[in-house]
Amino acid sequence: MIEREVTVTNRAGLHTRPASMIVRTAARFHCDFFIHKDGYEINGKSIIGVMTLAAEQGAVLKLVLDGVDEAEAADALAQIFEDGFGEVK
Amino acid sequence: MTDLRARERVFDGIAVSPGITIGPAYVHAREAIEVEERILEPDLVEQEVASLHEAIERSERDLNKIIAVTREKLGEDSAEIFEAQRLMLFDDAVRGEAERCIRRDRFEASYALHRVMQRHRKILEASGNDYFRERAHDLQDVEDRIIRHLRRGRLISAVDPSHIVVSENLTAADIILFSRRGILGCAMDYGGLTSHVSIMARSLGVPAVVSLHGLAGSISTGDVLVLDGLRGRVVVNPDDATLEAYRKRKDRFERLRAEEKSLVHLEPETIDGHRVRLEANLELRDEVSFVAEYGAQGIGLFRTEMLFLVEGRLSVSEEDQFRIYQAVVSAVAPAPVTLRVLDLGGDKLLPVAHREHNPFLGWRGIRVLLDKPDLLMPQLKAILRASAFGNVRILIPMVTDVGEVRQVRALLARAREELRSEGRAFADNVPVGVMVEVPSVALLADRFAAESDFFSIGTNDLTQYALAVDRGNDLVSKLFRDLHPAVLHLVRKTLEAAKRRGIPVSVCGELAANLRAVPILVGMGVDTLSMSPVYLPGVKRVIRSMSKEEGQLLAREALESDDADEVAARLDRWLEEHGCGVPFLVDSRNGH
Repeated sequence: MIEREVTVTNRAGLHTRPASMIVRTAARFHCDFFIHKDGYEINGKSIIGVMTLAAEQGAVLKLVLDGVDEAEAADALAQIFEDGFGEVK
Repeated sequence: MTDLRARERVFDGIAVSPGITIGPAYVHAREAIEVEERILEPDLVEQEVASLHEAIERSERDLNKIIAVTREKLGEDSAEIFEAQRLMLFDDAVRGEAERCIRRDRFEASYALHRVMQRHRKILEASGNDYFRERAHDLQDVEDRIIRHLRRGRLISAVDPSHIVVSENLTAADIILFSRRGILGCAMDYGGLTSHVSIMARSLGVPAVVSLHGLAGSISTGDVLVLDGLRGRVVVNPDDATLEAYRKRKDRFERLRAEEKSLVHLEPETIDGHRVRLEANLELRDEVSFVAEYGAQGIGLFRTEMLFLVEGRLSVSEEDQFRIYQAVVSAVAPAPVTLRVLDLGGDKLLPVAHREHNPFLGWRGIRVLLDKPDLLMPQLKAILRASAFGNVRILIPMVTDVGEVRQVRALLARAREELRSEGRAFADNVPVGVMVEVPSVALLADRFAAESDFFSIGTNDLTQYALAVDRGNDLVSKLFRDLHPAVLHLVRKTLEAAKRRGIPVSVCGELAANLRAVPILVGMGVDTLSMSPVYLPGVKRVIRSMSKEEGQLLAREALESDDADEVAARLDRWLEEHGCGVPFLVDSRNGH
């Protein structure tokens, strides 16, 4: 199992489109994927889950991955956070 | 229900897609789905799970259609919100949880789904952020869609093809599905000329009127309606005289429409040989085919907001923008294309919660872009790059101060520098023009003319700012008169300053497509009229029926009048006498 801390950098936060990017990216991997925020945990493969995080710009999230391809998944997911989902920061 | 003796009632709104249609109403209520707690017999549980799965699959098929049409008409970005809804259908937090709830509690599928979605919505609604609170609507959309399929009272099949759909607020997705059922027209309580759904209605050729405040709540399915998508009016329970009048009006409109094909290839020239340019207002890349189809001489206004009007997403890369602009510019070259830089704010609400107490006097148009060069620079560079492929002009929206024009020019100089160092091609001397939509620009038009290569008059905003009237506000909307002498004086002042400097002036607001205004604008010396392509042939007919001198005379009368209604009535008579009008036969009784 690995954990990775990421920050929401885009201005609009994890709204529908970034949430769908996260879920679609995660779906490419076999590992389990959870996101922790303020003691709250959601399934990172669920778009509803990601949206209900209501994570705004500046929010710090912990990605928790567990499974055979956890390292690749962590890199891929951390990267889209870093890119701010291709949106205005 | 419909009372045979029901009184005729008139609702005025904004015409967004032309056409006249008469037929029964179908009232589409988005919130009307109610679910009740019902416990299933144990042996029905598996059947209920199967129904849920089937409803989800049907919902997916709906969304696939919506995604395909949205992608084709509005582009990939706009389809993303529906892609997200499609993901939700198969989300374990939706399908899986609802299924478990059916099995565990023996709830009916719709109630199980409702419970599950309600829980997710509560979490979003508890968020302190407006944006996330509003996303609860997306969940509601998904829930409604699935439940409609569960009940087989399917949203779409409930609409009989020969109905006029009436709703408080339709989405672009709704109108796509409705238009496939061949509805007669569409009337909405909210919305404006440039809202998504209006653009979609025009693009699909569905007659539509929006901003009808209170219509949906005050009629029932089956009530007879007249929908007038030319003047923006809906008549409920029309009496025999009104029906007769509208049948004539409809015939007249359809005859004029049929003749219009022959006008496409004719010059927009007055009988005394004065030429006016007629150009198209577009917002979607695939609307480019309308330029040839309706005989436009260029694109007088390409609104770029549609590229950006994606949920929360304000950055479309320079490359993506360039590809779209290049496609549009090359498609019509050597005809000119006026690309207006992003005009967000005001009614075109920024997607991210940026609530202002008075958005029309707030952060909009160029004010936003100058504060956010990370939005403006890629756009300027993309437009400059497209200039290598044809005839491009840049238009700046919501200017109030000459300094803003200078700032944009400075940024343009920087954009050229950057492109040069990147080895990119672009045309020299791409003209830069100013939207005249705030009275300050018209009043100081001399000074703006010295800094601009052309003017483009946006009549809707100019009218709203000059008369201090919000057309969306029922209490004062009657005071919104775009032929008001005060507005015409601002137009004249703009034209005079432009003539002195030798720069061209176009009118790209709704006024350009208002047949009554055409003789006046041509008479005052406007060089170009730009409008939604469907209106072009009708306007050309007016131009070809008038002389410049006649126009000058009408303009003088209008400028000297102190009564906008009188001006309108005078012009209606003129149109009628010249065989150009679709007379409003029922007007005398209904007030204005």
